[in-house]
Amino acid sequence: MDFDFSDDQEQLRDAVRRWVDRGYDFERRRALVKAGGFDRGVYGELAELGLTGLYVPEAQGGLGQGPVEAMVVMEELGRGLVLEPLAQGALIAPTVLQAAPADVQAAWLPKIASGEALVVLAHQERKARYRLTHVETSASQAGGRWTVSGAKSIVPAGDQADAFIVPARVSGAADDASGIALFLVERAAGGVAARGYGTQDGARAAEVTFTQAPATLLADAGPAFGVLEAAVDAGIAALCAEAVGVMDKLFALTVEYLNTRKQFGVAIASFQALRHRIADCKMQLELARSMSYYASLKLNDEPSVRRRAISQAKVQLGQSMRFVGQQSVQLHGGIGMTDEYIGSHYFKRLTCMELTFGDTMHHLGEVSARMQDTAGALV
Amino acid sequence: MDLNYTPEETAFRQEIRQWVAENLPKDISHKVHNALRLSRDDMQRWAKILGKKGWLGYGWPKEFGGPGWNAVQRHLFEEECALAGAPRIVPFGPVMVAPVIMAFGSREQQKRHLPGIMSGEVWWSQGYSEPGSGSDLASVKTRAERHGDKYIVNGQKTWTTLGQYGDWIFCLVRTSTEGKPQTGISFLLIDMKSPGITVRPIITLDGEHEVNEVFFDNVEVPAENLVGEENKGWTYAKYLLAHERTNIADVNRAKRELERLKRIAKAEGMYDDARFRDQIALLEVDIVALEMMVLRVLSAEQGGKKSLDIAGLLKIRGSEIQQRYTELMMLAAGPYGLPYIHEAMEAGWQGEHVGAAYLAPLTSTYFNTRKTTIYGGSNEVQRNIVAQTVLG
Repeated sequence: MDFDFSDDQEQLRDAVRRWVDRGYDFERRRALVKAGGFDRGVYGELAELGLTGLYVPEAQGGLGQGPVEAMVVMEELGRGLVLEPLAQGALIAPTVLQAAPADVQAAWLPKIASGEALVVLAHQERKARYRLTHVETSASQAGGRWTVSGAKSIVPAGDQADAFIVPARVSGAADDASGIALFLVERAAGGVAARGYGTQDGARAAEVTFTQAPATLLADAGPAFGVLEAAVDAGIAALCAEAVGVMDKLFALTVEYLNTRKQFGVAIASFQALRHRIADCKMQLELARSMSYYASLKLNDEPSVRRRAISQAKVQLGQSMRFVGQQSVQLHGGIGMTDEYIGSHYFKRLTCMELTFGDTMHHLGEVSARMQDTAGALV
Repeated sequence: MDLNYTPEETAFRQEIRQWVAENLPKDISHKVHNALRLSRDDMQRWAKILGKKGWLGYGWPKEFGGPGWNAVQRHLFEEECALAGAPRIVPFGPVMVAPVIMAFGSREQQKRHLPGIMSGEVWWSQGYSEPGSGSDLASVKTRAERHGDKYIVNGQKTWTTLGQYGDWIFCLVRTSTEGKPQTGISFLLIDMKSPGITVRPIITLDGEHEVNEVFFDNVEVPAENLVGEENKGWTYAKYLLAHERTNIADVNRAKRELERLKRIAKAEGMYDDARFRDQIALLEVDIVALEMMVLRVLSAEQGGKKSLDIAGLLKIRGSEIQQRYTELMMLAAGPYGLPYIHEAMEAGWQGEHVGAAYLAPLTSTYFNTRKTTIYGGSNEVQRNIVAQTVLG
């Protein structure tokens, strides 16, 4: 039982925080949002810090780090409201690729670690909502070559990524997990079309269609679904950590505002109604931080335990994000409603994070379905 | 960072588990697991069993005869006791007054009082609240006037939990009206058999006799029963409040009661009702999150670091969760939460239950548990404290 960060982890945190403080201020971010919400140059800066290789083994040129290091990095990126999809490239993609054949790993993992290649998960389909099992995109094999056909939605930086990890159906009906295999499809390949757009939090996504696009098999139907779940769970743990960073900063902004803003001749921090609200925000923030730790520390557990823990964490984070986000706007009053004020952008990021990888209601259903007779952090 | 207990901690837990399994009387754990009424004898029997083993003062350092456990070991002990269905240790002696006597009491007070507290022979009560002093505890009015080698005590304490069984009571009394209210308070140990003390029951909304009013009418207290210095009592009281922080979340008991809630929901056919089941799932998330918060505080204490600024949140969250699981149990009972048969909460009652025996206490427990957000500093006062640390 130990919730301290090691010296190495603290150094990693400092390095990311320094980069955010020096190189990613609100004005730069605003310009990046205006320019489309994804910037290869910024992604390259993260790569220079080594962050794109977080989950890539050292032998493949990465840092070979674990969930706690990922958590530390994501918290700091959250604090800085960084738009770039680092969790996708540095955590989710390597999780999948490490289950792929050796030659595929050798071809892609070093490029991912160096930042040369951005590989993102393209799993969302129109009718799937948050069910990973719902895959209509199909894959077929002819002459020893695979092709993929179908449409994937809301793919992070989907019109700029270099390649996609695509769950596609090789057999079975639309919700049959055992008929899903995982493929890698390059964006530059024939039969791939991407239509990019901005998201509510200023980031970038795309609708991606595959028309008999050439594909590389990463994981066979059967084992593939477990790999997909593991990758998404790594993404959720990262999202939880990022959300803690976002909330931490938004909470600090709100506290500062209450101590500065005067009404009726006094700082509004003197009003008990607002003080109690801040106490409630602090509660939600610390519950969220506790469950973010939990998600990361459970990430390497056996799948059934991991999945339950991840869903429990997402339920807590979802509630906390909504509460802290909404209350921060409320406590700021009118200024909280403006685009000019940085706080509203933190709120929008929190809102989008709830809608990513399953909202609170979805994960509550997961927790509900996975309940055992006994419960607790170490069950 | 590591979520898991060390092999040594796991072995320690195992040792506690086995001992509790062998020594906790089954008739007592049966009552606890079914929320049936505990008698004074039940509580004291368990206290004496623990006392004989030297574990009643499980938070005590070795120099005072305690086991000298660290924060994690204490937590594991509490958890094993709770999960096995042991009654909560009545805290007023071993958990509350004893650390004050150890830290601020005289040698003579330590020799006189600590053995009886550790053995479970002497039942202590707490004399803090007064009719006019609830959240504003520093306004206590019960007077203690020094006359030679005695104090003469006059006034009234209230909400004295299990005071009907008390042998001794530790009291905050006013010894001076000069200066700020906090500076005129003293910490006095009073023999409840002293002439002039009257204990009157307060029947709470659940029909139970748990709390009392205690009246002091010219009660003579030897001056040697003053703990520490006169007018320094507020400091000692704050020390006491700071002493036991993680257990106030009561997360171990919450885990046990969540199991009971699931059993009741299953038996009542509500476990497969999606709307009801989701509420249990939400509570389960709340309990895991609370446990993680407790473990973070423990780990910080263990590391000897400055305590986390989140300890104040534990009481708020723990008490809310306690209320929630009792509420859900009542709702699981549905219409069978309506009957009130006072005797049906007695173990071994031979009468005919309405519905089923396990339903009888659920609504009463729900009523009783409304106290948790009021006592120990109301949750509104706790929010003031949290806000103070955040906003200044």
